[in-house]
Amino acid sequence: MSLQAYLTLAAAVFCIGLFGVMTRRNTIGILLGIELMLNAVNINLVAFARFGGDVTGLIFTVFTICITVSEAALGLAIVILLFRVRRTVTADHLDLLRG
Amino acid sequence: MMTDPGLLALVALLLPALSFLVLAVAAPLRRLGRPAAWFSILCAGGSLAAAVQAWAAGGDDVSRLLWAWLPAGGGTLASVGVLADADSTLMLTLVALVAFLVQLYSVGYLSDEPPPGLGRYYTYQSLFAFSMMALVLAPNFVQLFIAWELVGLCSYLLIGFWYQKPEAARAATKAFWITKAGDVGLLIGIVLLWRQSGTFDFFELRLLAEGGALPLAGLSLITFCIYLGAVGKSAQFPLHVWLPDAMEGPTPVSALIHAATMVTAGVYLLTRTEWLFALTPEVLAVVAWIGAFTALLAAVLACVQDDIKRVLAYSTVSQLGYMMTAIGAGLAAAGFFHLLTHGLFKALLFLGAGAVIHAVHSNDLSHMGGLARRMPHTAIVFLVGTLSLAGIPFFGGFLSKEEILGAVWAGGFVGPFLLLMVVALLTAFYMFRVVFLAFFGEPATAHITATVGAAHAGHPHDPPASMRVPLWILAAMSLGVGISSTMAGQMLQFGPAEREGPAWLMPSAVGVALAGILLAWLTYQRRTIDASSLAAAFGPIRRAALARFWIDDIFEGGYRVGLLGFSRAVGWVDRYLVDGVLNALSAWTLTAGDDVRGMQTGRAQDYVYGVAVGLLVLLLWVQWVLA
Amino acid sequence: MIGEPIVFWVLTVVLVGSALAVVLSKNLFHAVLWLALALTGTAGVFLLLEAEFLAAVQLLLYAGGVVTIVVFAIVVTERLVGERITQTNRRITGAALVAFTVLALIVSTVVRQPLASARPAVEGDLTRAIGEGVLTRYVLPFELLALLMVAALLGAIYFARPDE
Repeated sequence: MSLQAYLTLAAAVFCIGLFGVMTRRNTIGILLGIELMLNAVNINLVAFARFGGDVTGLIFTVFTICITVSEAALGLAIVILLFRVRRTVTADHLDLLRG
Repeated sequence: MMTDPGLLALVALLLPALSFLVLAVAAPLRRLGRPAAWFSILCAGGSLAAAVQAWAAGGDDVSRLLWAWLPAGGGTLASVGVLADADSTLMLTLVALVAFLVQLYSVGYLSDEPPPGLGRYYTYQSLFAFSMMALVLAPNFVQLFIAWELVGLCSYLLIGFWYQKPEAARAATKAFWITKAGDVGLLIGIVLLWRQSGTFDFFELRLLAEGGALPLAGLSLITFCIYLGAVGKSAQFPLHVWLPDAMEGPTPVSALIHAATMVTAGVYLLTRTEWLFALTPEVLAVVAWIGAFTALLAAVLACVQDDIKRVLAYSTVSQLGYMMTAIGAGLAAAGFFHLLTHGLFKALLFLGAGAVIHAVHSNDLSHMGGLARRMPHTAIVFLVGTLSLAGIPFFGGFLSKEEILGAVWAGGFVGPFLLLMVVALLTAFYMFRVVFLAFFGEPATAHITATVGAAHAGHPHDPPASMRVPLWILAAMSLGVGISSTMAGQMLQFGPAEREGPAWLMPSAVGVALAGILLAWLTYQRRTIDASSLAAAFGPIRRAALARFWIDDIFEGGYRVGLLGFSRAVGWVDRYLVDGVLNALSAWTLTAGDDVRGMQTGRAQDYVYGVAVGLLVLLLWVQWVLA
Repeated sequence: MIGEPIVFWVLTVVLVGSALAVVLSKNLFHAVLWLALALTGTAGVFLLLEAEFLAAVQLLLYAGGVVTIVVFAIVVTERLVGERITQTNRRITGAALVAFTVLALIVSTVVRQPLASARPAVEGDLTRAIGEGVLTRYVLPFELLALLMVAALLGAIYFARPDE
């Protein structure tokens, strides 16, 4: 398969994740969307690395995965804390920054 | 030893500046009062010594010390420095002398002043001495103008020295604004002159003027504008109204600034630029006529004043008119000579009046009387000053007045000459009126006991030594100048021989003065002539004079109608047009802000939505670029 | 490799389908399970691209770690809320339009680029190459990464600590 095929697949996953981030009411649901988007990025990185014959992209994929896991752990911790303080996991209710 | 008059003059100039800087910066020293005073006096004394040396060393040499100041286009637009010649060093000596004596005198006069106030007073005095000397020694119009404004500032500060008094604050503002009106003219004149000649420097201008290289077209306007500055500063009609009010300041200030030095700056300016005015005889005629008219007007006003300082103030205006007339008649040297003698004896008169006020605690002539017996020193020196002012032989003002009258007659100004003769009569009359009312006759004890009471239980007495010494020095110098000039008589030549007055001039002038004295004696001492019937004989004039010839009212009316009306119109425009537009704009901004704040929902997802839409736009743009 | 297109298309269907299920499923717990499937699919894509080590990492960390954490989070919040968490979507039409247009634009851009149609053969051991890169040239980011993970760990513990 060509590089374009892999990039198109990654783009599709990315856009689905984006859609989830924009639409989900639940904060955990939003986090899931973010995970999807990051995955799409990883696919991109690996595909470019392999088609370009350069190992750097693969190394950075390792880094990205680690960072993503950290992000997921922290994000979920924030969700729990948020729930304790505000008694809600619905993103719509979190509007302290409203103008 | 330094013998260059320029350097000596520079020392004389910088000592008061040092004093001012020290007193201005070292606040603790200033607040101590007396130490600050003595420091300032010390500097003034050193300045006087340097000035005398400069004068003695100078002779007819001209010494210029210049430092480039305003660089422009590869050259120097203006420099600062000193121009020490015969006139300026002489004037410098007068300024330094009177400044020194007045500062010495003030220690006694202001002994009741709290220490911080005294320190402030001496700070201003030092600044004034420096500014006035910088004016006198100015080598060009720029430095002259700066110093001119500085002395105006000092005048303002010192008139308003007792700023808690509303009248003093008002008088200070009035003096400042009215002299500023003239200064605008001076500034315009200086700039116009520069445009025509390309230089501010007196020396170069003089070479141009005397070489005939100065274009005559428009020069009348320039000299008239410069003269306007002198009108404001030297209290010529119609801008003389500030000087009588300036008497609200402490009396030594009146002696120094508003009699001996600053108000004569206008006369000095015209003397300095005599060669320039010589090119415009029509402006000189205006100067002469206005000078003579001012002299008469002020003399009439002086006759009806009951405040001893106001009499002296109007007398100063009158004498300034004399000097201006001499300059207008083309003999600036005579005017300058009178400036110097007048500086001596008018400072003496003011300081004498200060001594009287110090003793009686009132400015009002009706509260004085019979003081000659109680204050013999003051009475004698005041009499010397009065005789000098009246122009009696062997006294200070005699020869200078003769010179002026001779010059005006010889210049063909018959009208001003007659006016000046009337003024001579009036001068003698009103000054001796003061003398007889204050120093002779019955003492007005009722007032003294009533107001002074227990605090000054004793009778009025002569002032302390620190005040008496300056009085005697000035009296001695007035007499000395008078005697030497009278004896030397015709040997002193202040101009070409053909400009000397005719032989009948001297006897008639002295006769007129003696007639004035006699009239005052008959009216106020012998009471042969009833003062009220004399007043009745001049009823309308007296009424007009009491109303100050309505000049102040005209200014005030002009201010009310013109300036206030204009201010109201401008205020309306500001309040309704300018503010209206701004208010509309701000209201619009507020509404718009209210409308768009809804965009900030505070929900993170909405922002993500916005980011996604932004990404979309970016991609569309990329597509468009690629296409 | 003749089977690659077939495997690719199968993986595409699995990946896109499970991703859609993640964002559309009403039951949050199901959504997490669908995410696990999507992550496994991604690991399959890595395998297809002959990056076996990454596929293993993906499975262990993501499908194992993240999914476990998320399940824990759901369980904890559900216990706190006291009821089953369902979730709905909002602004579906607008978001779908935006997401689809972005996808269309990306694809149309990608397709027009002259990109390599075949990848070079693997030279040597990729896992070894990654290991050498991480410990030589990229050792500094690697160490920073360790720091980051410690910080994340501490932060997560701090945030999730029990109430005093």
